[in-house]
Amino acid sequence: MADSSTSDSHDHAADFPFERSTEGFSSATLERAATAKYKLEVFYKNLLDATLERQGRLQDLERKLAAESCSEERKNRQIQALGRKESDFLRFRRVKLGVDDFMTVKVIGKGAFGEVRLVQKRDNGRIYAMKTLRKSEMVKKDQLAHVRAERDLLAMSVDQNSPWVVQLYFSFQDPVFLYLIMEFLPGGDLMSMLIKYDTFTEDATRFYMAECIAAIESVHTLGFIHRDIKPDNLLIDQSGHLKLTDFGLATGFHATHDSAYYQRLLDSGSSGKNGSINLNPNASSRTEQVLTWRKNRRALAYSTVGTPDYIAPEVFLGTGYGKECDWWSLGAIMFECLVGYPPFCSDTPQETYRKVISWKNWLAIPEDVPLSWEAEDLIKRLLCDAPNRLGRNGAHELKQHPYFRGVNFETLRSTRPPFVPELKSITDTSYFPTDELTHISTSVGGSEDQSAEGGNAAEGIFKDLAFVGFTFRKFETIRQNIE
Amino acid sequence: RKSSASAPKPLFVTPPYVTAVLVKGSFAPMVQLPPHIDRDEWLAANVFDFFQFISLFYGTIAEYCTPKECPTMSAGPGVDYAWVDGQRRSNKVPAPQYIDSTTTWIQGLLDDPDVFPTKSGQPFPKDHLATVKLIFKHLFRIFAHMYHAHYDKVLHLAEEAHLNTVFAHFMCFAKEFDLLDKKETEPLRDLIAELEGMNLC
Ligand SMILES: Nc1ncnc2c1ncn2[C@@H]1O[C@H](COP(=O)(O)OP(=O)(O)OP(=O)(O)O)[C@@H](O)[C@H]1O
Repeated sequence: MADSSTSDSHDHAADFPFERSTEGFSSATLERAATAKYKLEVFYKNLLDATLERQGRLQDLERKLAAESCSEERKNRQIQALGRKESDFLRFRRVKLGVDDFMTVKVIGKGAFGEVRLVQKRDNGRIYAMKTLRKSEMVKKDQLAHVRAERDLLAMSVDQNSPWVVQLYFSFQDPVFLYLIMEFLPGGDLMSMLIKYDTFTEDATRFYMAECIAAIESVHTLGFIHRDIKPDNLLIDQSGHLKLTDFGLATGFHATHDSAYYQRLLDSGSSGKNGSINLNPNASSRTEQVLTWRKNRRALAYSTVGTPDYIAPEVFLGTGYGKECDWWSLGAIMFECLVGYPPFCSDTPQETYRKVISWKNWLAIPEDVPLSWEAEDLIKRLLCDAPNRLGRNGAHELKQHPYFRGVNFETLRSTRPPFVPELKSITDTSYFPTDELTHISTSVGGSEDQSAEGGNAAEGIFKDLAFVGFTFRKFETIRQNIE
Repeated sequence: RKSSASAPKPLFVTPPYVTAVLVKGSFAPMVQLPPHIDRDEWLAANVFDFFQFISLFYGTIAEYCTPKECPTMSAGPGVDYAWVDGQRRSNKVPAPQYIDSTTTWIQGLLDDPDVFPTKSGQPFPKDHLATVKLIFKHLFRIFAHMYHAHYDKVLHLAEEAHLNTVFAHFMCFAKEFDLLDKKETEPLRDLIAELEGMNLC
């Protein structure tokens, strides 16, 4: 039986060990292989989720219909309608959306990595806000975070339509930019409101803070920490209610939150004559600092450095932080709403950064600003070390604070806001600083961009991989398109 | 068994390569038509994905699929596909030319809103299933060529698990909707048997 020639005829891998080697392969091929593999891994990871989500939507509807005592015929009709929506969802996924499908109405905002425009979708005339992010800028700042951010972004599409978060409908990319198509909030942002009014009344502040709490809480419930809550990220909708933006992206895309980054900022501030720091904190008076700060307010919002005015000290220190860092930001915003400038405002971001770190020496509520004791107490319970901060055990701690006595957090969104935008049309941009932004070109992805970015092949692979799977569409949009 | 002891078994049906996959469990529940969803739309969505994946893979070995290396569109001993041109003339052409013509033609179909409607509510043409079958037939041939003619490159690039996964998914889908003739799948019969043995498709 034991015939050696028989066993020889079996071609096991062990008999012919295949020696893998990518020697002699061109870098283009290696790049394509890495991309292909990564794309497929992402696809198969998401395939199961997509299937489960679809099943979940059907089950939700079936449960809802079972609870209603409506006719079989009506139930059937609703189930068929969902089937049509799901089919349309598949259809829209096939259709390649691109920047050409949108027409720019106006540039309405500017951020660190790009700008925000009011756009109109050419085929159906719907209005959206389109945020563009320059890939190369983001890669420069931080490499791996993009993949994480992308995942966060996808996770966001599972979000049950929180009324507190700006909805993202589509996203797509070209070689130079990422595009986010979001709902347009015509009321502008809280930063612009503060620029216009300097301070709010206690009642108005109470309203915005209460809405902020609800918004932050909904973000935390989804398992996210925003880390970058600031007046520029609080947008005002058509009816005057708040929504949080930049959520999901904030965590991943912004290396500005990286403590090492701040360390560099600090170092750069302590050397060189332009960035030299002021050893005497009284060299420029409080009033002067506030004036400088006001003057630079928008410029700071547009810069890559960003403003550290609202970021919690533990985020800078890099010693670890939790959800409570968002409550610090709330405290800083509240201070600004009532006092007229943020608590640690200075001539330069470096100085602000130092003040936040040693907040104990710098936090002072000016005597000439009359504050209720409740407001003052809440501010102090938020602008303090993380272990003592109100909210570390959950948002209910804030809601129960005497400052919010009489506020019904359940019905917030149906109460009347202190300010309701007056809009002449669906494309009214009077609440945005469009005049200041007009120097920005209104074309995206122009040819100069393409050629300028195309050069560096070595960077190319990282760029592409970082954004794999970025493109997505939200199921909810399809629903909107039909209804 | 037809395979004789004289013809060595190709590496792609040999462990550990044949058993390398990205997923656990069967594709069957993933390929089934979800309840209440339009069948044509489901076919279309999947055709799009498979076409994209095959293009991705072929891109990784395209550099080596040259008229010199691959003078015909071969898929193992005795299998050479001929390209049927617009005048229904059948020509043996080099594999890269064959694949380029095939993918250009498929891309043209996928981009044609009369064949794959893009507007909400617009129905698919009556011969949609036939179109999908035709596309599947050609996609299969590209798989077959990659497995038979370029598997060494696939191994060097360590992408065999990815290729097996996509192919198993593809076959599972084809089976569910009866998109491929048995005769057509002959060139990869042994591989399919192995993947079926693993309960993947
Ligand atoms: N959905 C929207 N609707 C209306 N305006 C918006 C919308 N999104 C952003 N804006 C405007 O554009 C400005 C900049 O947007 P955003 O804060 O998202 O970008 P950013 O400054 O790049 O943010 P960050 O630097 O924190 O990422 C906002 O302050 C706001 O005025």
